[in-house]
Amino acid sequence: MTDDVKVADKTDSLTDLKETDEDLRLPSVVEPAHFPVETIDTEARHQTPAVGQRATRPDGRLHGLGQTKYIDDITFPNMLFAKMKRAGISSALIKSIDTSEAEAMPGVAAVLTGKEIPVNSYGPSYQDQPVLADERVFHAGDPVAAVAAVTEQIAEEACERIKVEYEPLEPVYDPVEAMKDEIKVHPPHSNIYATKRIKKGDLEKGFAEADHIFEGVYSTQMIEHVPLEPHASIAQWDPNGRVTLWSSLGRITLGRADIARTLDMPINKIRIVGTIVGGNFGGKNEITTEPALALLSRKTGRPVKMVYTREEEFIASTTRHPFIMEYKTGVTDDGMITARKVRLVLDGGAYCSWSETTLGKACILSAGPYNIENLLAEAYCMYTNKTMTGAMRGFGAPQVCFAYESQMDEIAHKLGIDPLELRMKNAFHEGSASPTGQVLQSVVVKDSLEKAAERFGWKEDGQ
Amino acid sequence: MTDVTLTINGEERSASVPPETSLLRLLRDEFYLTGSKLGCDVGDCGACTVIVDGMPVNACLMLAGQVDGRDVVTIEGLATLEDLHPIQKAFEEFASLQCGFCGPGVIISAKGLLDRNPDPTKEEIKDALSGNLCRCTGYTKMIEAVQDAARILRGEKEAA
Repeated sequence: MTDDVKVADKTDSLTDLKETDEDLRLPSVVEPAHFPVETIDTEARHQTPAVGQRATRPDGRLHGLGQTKYIDDITFPNMLFAKMKRAGISSALIKSIDTSEAEAMPGVAAVLTGKEIPVNSYGPSYQDQPVLADERVFHAGDPVAAVAAVTEQIAEEACERIKVEYEPLEPVYDPVEAMKDEIKVHPPHSNIYATKRIKKGDLEKGFAEADHIFEGVYSTQMIEHVPLEPHASIAQWDPNGRVTLWSSLGRITLGRADIARTLDMPINKIRIVGTIVGGNFGGKNEITTEPALALLSRKTGRPVKMVYTREEEFIASTTRHPFIMEYKTGVTDDGMITARKVRLVLDGGAYCSWSETTLGKACILSAGPYNIENLLAEAYCMYTNKTMTGAMRGFGAPQVCFAYESQMDEIAHKLGIDPLELRMKNAFHEGSASPTGQVLQSVVVKDSLEKAAERFGWKEDGQ
Repeated sequence: MTDVTLTINGEERSASVPPETSLLRLLRDEFYLTGSKLGCDVGDCGACTVIVDGMPVNACLMLAGQVDGRDVVTIEGLATLEDLHPIQKAFEEFASLQCGFCGPGVIISAKGLLDRNPDPTKEEIKDALSGNLCRCTGYTKMIEAVQDAARILRGEKEAA
């Protein structure tokens, strides 16, 4: 290490540190424009010069100029455009795929089917999702073939000319129905592909101590992330046998391993360039089209780009799990919760994706931020023949929050207790233990509730 | 093929494109003006907003053939090498953009508004931006930025 390396002095302000940056920026505006610097004088927060200062986003200027390069803004010479043929049937065996007419079309450079993919399965925890469905279709958005052509229109038309013969199978759409395992989505495996159970205290004793028992079933719907930028990737297979992928993928390291597995090649032959992402929200956490694009590039020797249409975002990318949540809660006359029993059924759709993580987090948080001595929470994640569900902001936390807070309101209403007071009585305090036994520190739920109630005038509203 | 000649950001440009080509594809694929984004391709999200003869429009819903002989301003036409447009500057200062994908469309909609109405109310700003979806949901700071830019454009506030 040389001596002339400048280490940031802790007394430097952000403005000092940014001066050099400003000189190099285009358009070279006269002065860096910032908010007046308001230094918050809290002694515990003096670790870095950034704390307590207002800053502008370093990427804000490029965004506003329209100069940020998202995937679809990147073009390579000789680049091809890919489209995928979607099954349009939610459960079926694939009898045959005839791509001859599509391949013969002028402008079509290559057609790819699942049989050509070295390891035709992927997924962050279970590898249950085919890159291109080859033997069986698990949901209507499954791709069954991919086409690379000189224009998007030609690729789309070629997809229409691919003939697929299906043997329709009976689908299952309802997650509670799927629990019976009468119709299996991924035979011979059970539809229940992940479970979690949390037990604390003595449930029977807890319900015996209660003066009132409340039971309710709550459900939430499937939600798509709808990032403004659709999923997009470009693949370029080079003559040295290495593939470079520009992708809107958020987890590039994980994606690299998954792509190496599907292509059955060493990971060091795969390079991923994670470009600036136009919104992720959890929906761009796993690979989608990348292996297929890599192979199309290999077949053609040309770079291949694919951008999801808005429709594909809805039918072929992950979504938020719909939940069916059964809550049974025992409460005393004065509003203390004595016991709670929770059963969560997660509709996982056709593939696991990040369901395990969602299931775990939802189950742990399902009792809410309340001191409940006697608890049983059971959660099941189900395969159904629908668009797969995966990671989305909160990993299942918002769904259970909807259920337990809805029930808290019902309890308050029935017992004639102020909803805020009911929550204050039961809420976690410093040193409370979570359902899994974690002793909690810096617990400010009561302070937050009080402050929020004060700010929006809860009392004045006469609630 | 359809031949079009139009003015883009003050410069006359010509192209010959298939008749189904949208204005957005013309700008992005023929002229490499990729600042206007393709978000939905059906006129819902506003990420492709450009100004045609003074009016903000969804470039994905307009055919290239329809802009023959007309004047188009895109996000690339706002800044100079010397200075940012006051709206762009305000968006940077107020950190109005997160992922940024909706940004060019929002800024163009705001410019369309301020060109017609230099002193809009908050409601009028909201109305002007109602065709632009931001999934990171940062509308508050966008509105503040438009208000600030309007003050600068009216000469009530010095550009920082």
